[in-house]
Amino acid sequence: MELLLQTIINGVLAAGIYALVASGLALAVGVVGIINFAHGEFLMVGAFASYVLFIALGLDPVVSLAFGALALYLVGAATFHGLIRPVLAAPELNQMLLTFGIAVILQNVALLVFGGDTRVIYPPYQGTPIAIGPLSFGVVPLVAFALSAALLALLYLFLYRTRLGFAVRAVAQNKIAPGLLSIETSRIYLLAFGLSAALAGVAGVMLSVMLYASPHVGFLFTLKAFAIIVMAGLGNITGVLWSALILALAEAFVATYVPGGGGWVEAVFFLVIFIALVWRSWRAA
Amino acid sequence: MRTVFFILALAVVLPAIPIGVWREFVLDAAQFAFITTALALSWNIMAATGQLSLAHGAFFGLGAYAAALAVNAAVPTPLALLFGAGVAAISSLLLGIATFRLHGIYFAIATLAFSEVMRTLVNKAQFVGATFGYPVPAAFGGAGGILTAYYLSVALLVLATLVSLALQRSRLHYAFAATRQGEAVARVLGVPAVRMKLIALLISSSLAGLAGGVYGMKTLFLLPPDAFGVHRAIEALVIPIFGGLYTTAGPLAGGLILVSLENVLRLWVGEGYLVGYGVVLVVAILFMPRGITGVIARARRRRKEAPGAED
Repeated sequence: MELLLQTIINGVLAAGIYALVASGLALAVGVVGIINFAHGEFLMVGAFASYVLFIALGLDPVVSLAFGALALYLVGAATFHGLIRPVLAAPELNQMLLTFGIAVILQNVALLVFGGDTRVIYPPYQGTPIAIGPLSFGVVPLVAFALSAALLALLYLFLYRTRLGFAVRAVAQNKIAPGLLSIETSRIYLLAFGLSAALAGVAGVMLSVMLYASPHVGFLFTLKAFAIIVMAGLGNITGVLWSALILALAEAFVATYVPGGGGWVEAVFFLVIFIALVWRSWRAA
Repeated sequence: MRTVFFILALAVVLPAIPIGVWREFVLDAAQFAFITTALALSWNIMAATGQLSLAHGAFFGLGAYAAALAVNAAVPTPLALLFGAGVAAISSLLLGIATFRLHGIYFAIATLAFSEVMRTLVNKAQFVGATFGYPVPAAFGGAGGILTAYYLSVALLVLATLVSLALQRSRLHYAFAATRQGEAVARVLGVPAVRMKLIALLISSSLAGLAGGVYGMKTLFLLPPDAFGVHRAIEALVIPIFGGLYTTAGPLAGGLILVSLENVLRLWVGEGYLVGYGVVLVVAILFMPRGITGVIARARRRRKEAPGAED
């Protein structure tokens, strides 16, 4: 019973950061219509930014969150302005290849600058556990989860309660009509892509404490974020929360209950997606 | 067409070119280039029906492991390679039947999921060495030394090219193009779209499996992340897009250029060498969206429109 509860808690805590990364990607895919393979790389840049700030200035990762978000917003906006905008009308394959090229560049620049080692930040509260009865969890994952939840709540308030948020959702639904209503589509694209990168950057800062910063950390998150938004249905931002939760729980259960489960975790992740996709397609037909 | 024959002829005579100490290195690098290019050609066949596959890493890996299993069970090399191709084809048939109602990115993610599940399964399969890797004997018991392995990979490249050319000359070419450009219209015109996609997938995955088998006999050692990794599928799709989609000369030229570039960068830059590869990709997409063959075709058209302007 305690093991079960502990497993569920682990899964829920992990779901927060997945949902954060995937919501960012959902903005890029849903609003801008760009299949962004560099999304995980934005996260990696955020993780290294946090690492550098911690090593050079001794800045606490909680403070770095703001810097990470701002820096990645600018990186995202610049990427959109310089590289994505010219291919907005190009075939989907070309767009995917372009973002893949950006991912390769970011990953290898990180390799050239930092080398291939994994780097972890150890703030004083790194290992502090919190115990409630027989259950225990680290303070870092808990704070990361709370922050993710708060940021996601802000994102939803923005999208569903502000005029600008309405404009973003209008552009997601239709590329032409918002222009007739004097919404500047290109500025919404810029905003959405910048926000998308900023969300990844924040997740990256958290990851530099929870997991590690390494040039290769991004790609796995790109894949998982894609898996989550595809399972949720493209453009369905609320669905992202549910599918992040389901997938994180599936991972946690396999890691706890399957003997030697470590190696199976990713297979289960992708198996769930595969079944969900195939089931949906056969039901719809 | 001329480009295709030129490249294949070059591949055949390469060992006879006197380049001294570089010979071994060039022949070695060329084999990997040929295998990767064959994989890219096979991916291109699938792409012709409009389906973006990320499962080609899995077909490649399944072919490699199945052929290796067969060779280790004393099956002659050609039969073992066929067995590898067959296993890849059967797996693709199962995948295809399950997923052909999916389109676009949904299909891409489903194939990616398939590929990752396969990699994990092989990672756990003790009878092929799991994470420790699986040794593979050389092709034809190592008879003939480096040239045997070299010409095996040339044969693979020639076969992939011939299949690709034959498809372009056949009625299937039009059926594939119709399926890609508008599935609903294609169905109305009497093109069995799902069957076309399955045929393309079968041909494509057999070639990918064959390429995997040849790869195993070249490296003599297989590791799940290397044989099955997502990077295989990505290489297989970057090359045709860089070279020119839905053509034969495009992936052929693109593959040899990109893989050579990769080797040069690896020698010059060392770790992080792929940064140059990324820059080439981004520049290529921004400035030559229809690949190398697109640029060449445009140059040719311009020359025709202004006769005598250049001479």
